Amino acid sequence: MVSVQKPPGRRERPYARVLLPPAIVMAAAAGAAVALVPPPARFAVGVCGALAVLMVLGTAGEAARRGRRLREAQAEHARHVAQLEQRIAAHNELMARFATEVLPNGFYRLRRGAVLRNVVRDVFDADPYLRSLPDGYRELIRMALRGADQEISMRDATERSFVSVARRVQAIVHQQAEELREMEEDHGRNPEVFDDLLRIDHGTSLIGRLADTISVLGGGRPGRQWPQPVSLYSVLRGAMSRILEYRRINLASIVNINIKGTSVEPVIHAAAELLDNATRYSPPTTKVHVTAVEVQSGIVIEIEDCGVSLSEESRARIERMIEDAKNGEDAHNLGENPRLGLAVVGRLCKRFDMEVSLRSSAYGGVRAILVVPRVMTTTEPGVGAVQAHGIGAAAAQIPTADAVEGPKRPAKKRRPTSPKIPAGISLEDDVPEVTEWTAGGLPQRRSRVKTSLTQRYAEQAAIERAEREGRPTIWSQREPEPEPEPEIDPERKKLMERPPGLWMEDFWNGLRQGMPPDTPTHELTDFTLHPTKYLHLLNDSADYAEGATAGAAEADDEGDLK
Amino acid sequence: MTPPRRTRRRPQPLVPEPAPRPPQPAQPTAADGRRPRPNPERLYSVAGSDGARAELDLVTLIVARTAPPVSATPEQSAVLRLCRAPLSVAELSAYLGLPFSTMTVLLTELITDELVHARAPIVRQAVPDRSLLEAVMHGLQRL
Repeated sequence: MVSVQKPPGRRERPYARVLLPPAIVMAAAAGAAVALVPPPARFAVGVCGALAVLMVLGTAGEAARRGRRLREAQAEHARHVAQLEQRIAAHNELMARFATEVLPNGFYRLRRGAVLRNVVRDVFDADPYLRSLPDGYRELIRMALRGADQEISMRDATERSFVSVARRVQAIVHQQAEELREMEEDHGRNPEVFDDLLRIDHGTSLIGRLADTISVLGGGRPGRQWPQPVSLYSVLRGAMSRILEYRRINLASIVNINIKGTSVEPVIHAAAELLDNATRYSPPTTKVHVTAVEVQSGIVIEIEDCGVSLSEESRARIERMIEDAKNGEDAHNLGENPRLGLAVVGRLCKRFDMEVSLRSSAYGGVRAILVVPRVMTTTEPGVGAVQAHGIGAAAAQIPTADAVEGPKRPAKKRRPTSPKIPAGISLEDDVPEVTEWTAGGLPQRRSRVKTSLTQRYAEQAAIERAEREGRPTIWSQREPEPEPEPEIDPERKKLMERPPGLWMEDFWNGLRQGMPPDTPTHELTDFTLHPTKYLHLLNDSADYAEGATAGAAEADDEGDLK
Repeated sequence: MTPPRRTRRRPQPLVPEPAPRPPQPAQPTAADGRRPRPNPERLYSVAGSDGARAELDLVTLIVARTAPPVSATPEQSAVLRLCRAPLSVAELSAYLGLPFSTMTVLLTELITDELVHARAPIVRQAVPDRSLLEAVMHGLQRL
């Protein structure tokens, strides 16, 4: 800053005061010379002295004039420099204002979804000072905002496409899960198929969680909505079922409370991500302990693992990461950092007013604390609480037309020391049901009719008594009545006495030879002459069959004995 | 983009229903029993997918030995409460709404922890009675 302005009075010093001293000195010198020189030279000296005085006056005047002009030029220059410096300062200030106020404001509005034209109008044209600036500044701001606008809209479009893809995956996974559940019920009796189905079910759930993660990172909702409140235990089990190593999760002392249907999915997803982190960053043989207690502000879910403890530095880093995620400023982290879980948790916490913090665990690992606000909980009856609160309550809640009522047993005072067959069970059921006897005396089993043990003992006794007394019983072999010897035709008798097999040969011979009508009688076989005599041969088998059916009927009759 | 839907297999009634039951407006989904109430927990988180299974039949009777301990899961305590008197596995499976295979894993855990007894059902004619044997003997002698 070189603004050493000379006082203006000095610049305004009149010429007389500048010119007078040299002129007086010169005139005095000339007068002295005129007085000292001899008289004849006085005139010439006087003339020279006058000339010299004039010349001094002239020179001094010129010098003074030039000096004044120089000073004026210097002053002008200094003014100019000052003005330029002022402008530079103002410019710097303007740039700082652009950087700290105008552009961030514009970017913020653009991110909130404002149109570029309106943003330029609001942040630039609204200010009279900025409006007075040359057009170049406005163009500069507009171009910068336009570039940002394009990037933001492109990012939005990308996110939307991701979210829509995630939505579809979620829909498919959801349907798949429902169908898998049906299949699990259909094939519940077949353990091999059932276990395979469970494995597929698990894989599907993992896919579903990834889809939820994409959806949340893209600004969407974390999955489906649940129509009814769900108990916290079921919610945590739902979270458990969405991670790879769900077997290591130990749910202990979960407070009995229900989560509102709209809030179920965020809690499940946030808890699943925290559980996933806990199982991932702890030794694979250790358990992860989950507890949930009710506090004034809501529910506190604590997830403790037995992994590596968290140093203060890394804790600060993780909390910063979550904080970034809450503000949605972690986009640059997501690419290089595979820990999407915390980003998802941060976003969910931001959107649903949950809180998450990480502490060192007493087990030496990390303790993640998720605070679920009270507005997410409800006292309405929920799904899953059924099993926690007892079966009877559930049966009362969903009465169906053909529902089978649960057992209504009175509570026992003490449990039996050794479980015995309850008195109500009839032992008669154990009696084998033998109600019929075959002709040979072997028991025949019928399923429907029951004969009581006492009755059969009585029967048995009666049979034995009858046997002792010689009366016929069902066991006694029926002596066949000697049939009256049928009157045997002599021809037939002769035939019967023939060696067996010969008659057959004759029969066939007779048939083979044919029977011309004029055949002499002695050539014809007996069969050909009297065919009716041989019918009994055919009837024998029929008799046998008849006897069999009669026997069966007999057996039936005996079987009806009661 | 809708994937093919599976039509659920269900046992066909032998006799066609005489008249369709009037619709019940009060119970939209749960009443017909087709759609269970949506629940976020999956079956493998209830009982492990590759858990060991004891030889349990549908009619094996389960009897609780103790009252439910504090650390029991809801299913376990429900089983222990229900089984103060003997209940068959099929009944437990129906009351808890869990498939048979899940039930067996659950019960196997309980049996391993010595919280329940599994008792083979009283099989008919497992022990043949005397009169039957005598009858067989007589019959064979008379052949």
